Amino acid sequence: MKEFSYEIKDAMGIHARPAGLLVKAVGDYQSAITIVAPNGKADAKRIMAVMRLAVKQGNTVTVTCEGADEEKACIELQAFFEANL
Amino acid sequence: MGFFDKLFGKDSLNTIYAPVNGEAVDIKQVSDPTFGEEILGKGIAIRPSEGKVFAPCDATVDMMFETGHAVSLIADFGAEILIHVGLDTVELKGKHYSVHIKNGDKVKKGDLLIEFDCEAIKNDGYDTITPLVICNTADYSTFKISVGKPVNVGDAVIELGK
Repeated sequence: MKEFSYEIKDAMGIHARPAGLLVKAVGDYQSAITIVAPNGKADAKRIMAVMRLAVKQGNTVTVTCEGADEEKACIELQAFFEANL
Repeated sequence: MGFFDKLFGKDSLNTIYAPVNGEAVDIKQVSDPTFGEEILGKGIAIRPSEGKVFAPCDATVDMMFETGHAVSLIADFGAEILIHVGLDTVELKGKHYSVHIKNGDKVKKGDLLIEFDCEAIKNDGYDTITPLVICNTADYSTFKISVGKPVNVGDAVIELGK
């Protein structure tokens, strides 16, 4: 299992658009990808679950990747968070 | 019911009804690619003529955004529905919206969910077009939409079949 933590910089947090982009990004990996946020945790491949976390600016989330391509997923998703959130 | 209706499971279609009065359009006409390119799922959009959002079917409120600009619902038949009132309206931080429900509420088709001030939102420079998308589109093999016409709350806009 690989993981990273990231503090959300986006003033609007993870609202509908970034949630959609995130779910699209994680769909490319075989690994199970989970987001742990202050409000709970969610399967990052399910849009509704990601939105329900209501992640806000300043929240720290931990993303865990577990599976055949976990190393690649972890590196690329960290870049995704830095670029989009 | 005919043989073909049974064969294609027509009797098991579930219906989603217009949540706002206005003009129903193809979601591809929405300029925000999150919706127009169906990143969140397939659906429709309505250009609202009145600032009231009603439940599109019997459902449970999954996530009422505290800004009032969007709500996700889980239909009693299982569809995951997102209604997003306007584009980029998260930036309004709740201004021009009032919320009538909270997370976990059970709602019936036609219950009032959100009120919004259509003119004020437009005056602040935002498009009020309201996409309704099915986030678990992949769970359905039949996805029929009715768009390109005026709709009233309660008119059928999407039919879903497994």
